Amino acid sequence: MDTFQHLLSGLTAATSLQNLGFALIGCFLGTLIGVLPGLGPAAGTAILIPLTFTLDPIGALIMLSAIYYGAMYGGTITSVLINVPGEAASVVTCFDGYQMARQGRGGTALGIAAIGSFVGGIAATVALIVVAPPLARIALSFGPPEFFALMVLGLCLITGLAGQSLLTGLLMTVLGLLIAMVGIDPVRGAPRFTFGIPSLYDGVGFIPVVMGLFGVAEILLTVEAPYREVVKTKLTSLLPSREEWRRSFGAIARGTGVGFFLGLIPGVGAIIPTFVAYVFEKRLSKTPEQFGRGAIEGVAAPETANNAYANAAMIPLLTLGIPSSPTIAVLMGAFIINGLTPGPFLFKERPDLVWAVIASFMVGNVILLILNLPFVGLWARLLRLPYQYVCVGTLLFCVIGAYSLQQSVFDVGVMIVCGVIGYGLRKIDLPLAPLVLGLILGPFIEKSLRTSLEMSGGDLSIFYTRPISLVLLLAAAVVLVGSLLRPPPPEVRESKA
Amino acid sequence: MISHIVTAAIGVALALAATTGSTGAQQDFPTKPVQLMVAYPAGGSTDIAARIVAAIAEKSLGQPIVVVNKGGAGGQVGWTELVRQRPDGYYIGFINLPATNTVILDPDRKAIFTEKDFMPIINQVLDPGVIWVRADSPYKTVHDLIDAAKKSPNTIRAATTGILSDDHLAVLMTEEAAPGAVFRLVHLEGGAAQFKEIMAGNIDVAFDNVGTITPRVKSGEIRALAVMDDVRSKFLPDVPTMKELGYPTVVSNSTRGIAGPKGMPEPIVSKLREVLKKAMEDPEHVSKLENQGLAIKIMVGEEYAKYFADTHAKAKKYTEWAKSRPQR
Repeated sequence: MDTFQHLLSGLTAATSLQNLGFALIGCFLGTLIGVLPGLGPAAGTAILIPLTFTLDPIGALIMLSAIYYGAMYGGTITSVLINVPGEAASVVTCFDGYQMARQGRGGTALGIAAIGSFVGGIAATVALIVVAPPLARIALSFGPPEFFALMVLGLCLITGLAGQSLLTGLLMTVLGLLIAMVGIDPVRGAPRFTFGIPSLYDGVGFIPVVMGLFGVAEILLTVEAPYREVVKTKLTSLLPSREEWRRSFGAIARGTGVGFFLGLIPGVGAIIPTFVAYVFEKRLSKTPEQFGRGAIEGVAAPETANNAYANAAMIPLLTLGIPSSPTIAVLMGAFIINGLTPGPFLFKERPDLVWAVIASFMVGNVILLILNLPFVGLWARLLRLPYQYVCVGTLLFCVIGAYSLQQSVFDVGVMIVCGVIGYGLRKIDLPLAPLVLGLILGPFIEKSLRTSLEMSGGDLSIFYTRPISLVLLLAAAVVLVGSLLRPPPPEVRESKA
Repeated sequence: MISHIVTAAIGVALALAATTGSTGAQQDFPTKPVQLMVAYPAGGSTDIAARIVAAIAEKSLGQPIVVVNKGGAGGQVGWTELVRQRPDGYYIGFINLPATNTVILDPDRKAIFTEKDFMPIINQVLDPGVIWVRADSPYKTVHDLIDAAKKSPNTIRAATTGILSDDHLAVLMTEEAAPGAVFRLVHLEGGAAQFKEIMAGNIDVAFDNVGTITPRVKSGEIRALAVMDDVRSKFLPDVPTMKELGYPTVVSNSTRGIAGPKGMPEPIVSKLREVLKKAMEDPEHVSKLENQGLAIKIMVGEEYAKYFADTHAKAKKYTEWAKSRPQR
């Protein structure tokens, strides 16, 4: 039977009333999980696994998958409305989404995010159906050395985030890398910068840090500012204008590509694709100075990438049985508990199930769009509340979120300290984005560098004798030299995000 | 002499007072929800197994059992939390031997607890270690592998699931049992990373546990060379044990069991033991765990305490070796 027929029977199964119901419940729960900053998709999915014990496997998997990509979308809402990323992959959305909201374009930001997510999700699912198996094999050749080279290339892209000065950009990146080093050394097991506090052995949590740097710092800055006019611009225009459509179109297309290809590589995680898409878009833009000040492309690209990633990341799971992120690992656990082992053999043994789940991705993306577009207006209305209420609510929300991460008061402390630091950095106009990038890439770079050297017995040639790694490192060199030679942009003021 | 008797008498009196004072409370146990700590984030295999047993056990306990994830520092955060609790039975948690032991034993970790701070209640899972390669690997048997590791020491890339994991110790046990064989250690993050790197040819051999790999052995993608247990695994009946192959000292397992802070009163321990044992014997628990390739091994009382002590002594030896080995 060919793929198309499989897909059709999958669609039939996925659109049965019962399975539609499961997808709907999953999307709703997922959105909720995404909105709550502490509870990420991995923990949220895990906690809900027992709920699915009584369902049939297809229904259970449809529901859990829906929770997963629902959460990916839900995180956007708080990023845009209150500058608090609801989950890690929505950090980048804060940069421009929140600025858009301040300009009274919050509805548009949420609208384009929903549409971008939809396009990214559907395109990645179609690609999953058409080209997945051979591509997944190729992606396997990304071993630790290739990963290291890719991360170095990522780090060199910072120059695109650096703002007005390359020096401050690098400074902030190094600060981010330094914070990322806190905790137990991933290879030798020695504690670093932990001061004997067990809570620091795992490092400083990414979510509390970004909630502090963005959310709490924003509250401090706003409270201090003279009474701010509540945004009174029309919020009714949820759909982007013709001009905004034109600008978003390319961003959505490129975001889909970035998210899809990075989704194929196990271990990339959900955050990196959003960063890559954002930096890529800024580099290509004719008006890069608008990034960080409410550029719609700065929301469209990462939001699309994030959902394309979420769907593409199912490819290594379904074709090779390799979970590519913690959330997918939980989903894999759910498959296994139900007596199904994801991998090439599942396609042969239970095609009905695999195709129903794949088809449910499409159904789920449609549901998410329908579920979210009407809500956008409701969410955007929140922005009309006087700020004294919003800021108390936001702070409360952040504290609960940080605590619920691992029921730890320590994380709340980390968030507050980072809030104060973020406030100070914003005051002296240092860019936060490179810091966050350093924080994200730090552990990946270290782990892949050291694993590569363990593999080679300490021989550095492993980085330039493997073709993919060599090409990536050369590309990094080109990017770096290119940005050093390029004259600084004529705009004096740059993004603060 | 007299003072001794007086002291003893006071001691007995106090003990009696304490017992009578709390007997009522103990008989009523539990009057509120019991928290079951898992020292890893939600979604790991310990967590999922914990949620399965909790959902079944709470029916006969009469109070909810709430799974609490205290992930971090390879379990250290959660175990620190566990030993600090009041030993009243309302806060118990999973211990993962030998991971709990190596955290105690590694001086760099500066753990504030020791093996004596736990009161083992019941063991749930015993997952034997296994040595495996890609299906098309030149190493058809453990002997092939060990001969190669002797012939060109420190070139065969052997993946563990992390520094001082049971799999790391298992590599050292294998090296000890086959003098002259030296592997090049590569510490990866877990079973999924091992599988990916083996398939991509970045790693030659992996040390992991039966539960992680069984489905892949069945699908023919990989080959299990040996199981590191006294008896063959029911999930991999065709795979010989290291003992059969002439390496009786290579026995490595990863276990999950439930413990409380030390000093829990016996009536409460036995109530928990009874309820949890019943839940673990429940067919639903058995099938859900066995689907994942996890072997249920219920150990209670003396047997479990002895297993804990033996594992600790063994982990001590290899942890010290791991810390002093030139290539860690």
